[in-house]
Amino acid sequence: VSTEHGHDHHPRPDSQVALRARALEAVLAEKGLVAADAIDAVVELYERDVGPQNGARVVAHAWTDSAFRERLLTDGTKAIAELGFGGAEGDNLVAVANTPTVHNVVVCTLCSCYPWPVLGLPPTWYKSPPYRARMVAEPRAVLREFGLELPDEVEIRVWDSSAEVRYLVVPMRPAGTDGLTEEALSTLVTRDCMIGTAVPLAPERSP
Amino acid sequence: VSDAGGAARLAEVDAALAGRAALPRDNGELVFEEPWQGRALGMGVVVLERTGVTWAEFRRHLVAAIRRRPPAPGESAATAYYAAWLEALEALLAERGLLP
Repeated sequence: VSTEHGHDHHPRPDSQVALRARALEAVLAEKGLVAADAIDAVVELYERDVGPQNGARVVAHAWTDSAFRERLLTDGTKAIAELGFGGAEGDNLVAVANTPTVHNVVVCTLCSCYPWPVLGLPPTWYKSPPYRARMVAEPRAVLREFGLELPDEVEIRVWDSSAEVRYLVVPMRPAGTDGLTEEALSTLVTRDCMIGTAVPLAPERSP
Repeated sequence: VSDAGGAARLAEVDAALAGRAALPRDNGELVFEEPWQGRALGMGVVVLERTGVTWAEFRRHLVAAIRRRPPAPGESAATAYYAAWLEALEALLAERGLLP
């Protein structure tokens, strides 16, 4: 049995099933069916899973394609599937759009439900009891602590995620981005602005 | 292998295995308790890509293996799942004449 893949660091002795996995991998390599580095590449990707860049692509696409934006706001799950995202059963994605008079922000008061197919792993603060409790009670104050000062006339809507419904905030497209490609736009969309605790970055002025 | 391609592939796997054969997750995160579990998943992805076997076909083997092999006492859900995954992969390869 080959053991030269560098995965032998864990202290416990290998279980029977771990040995079986290694034996199968050795046979596959021997038959030239699967090379160890091909498996390494997949494992690395899957361990990182998805990140907020999926959500950023969704938002940038909504900014540049008004028909897609409509579909996204009508049926988020279906719309993100167009871009190849989503898939887990029971995850209903609802996209909520910011406007000049409405700002949306997402929380999960019960635990840490989060739209992972588009945002990846939740930040630590999202799971913290103070965020979960205070965002509902005093959203304006919490957002100020995040550095987001909203005018009094802007209504703040707080969306409470659940196992059944996950929310994605579609922020407003920043001014001065008319000439940008969809790819360039997606770099302005951070994780926090899709949770609603920030707004998109201003585009960098090229010298 | 690009990141975007990887995410799309993972979404495809998720969609194909949803329900009885869904990948073990905790609040959305894939669960790998031990390295062999990730390698089992990786082997499946690469073998299917190389052989052109569909995820629907693999799913049939996986559901059957899960049914045949309920979690042993004290065994975690992820261990039981990826043990069934290995069995399914072996059964698929045997059926295709790729394994003795």
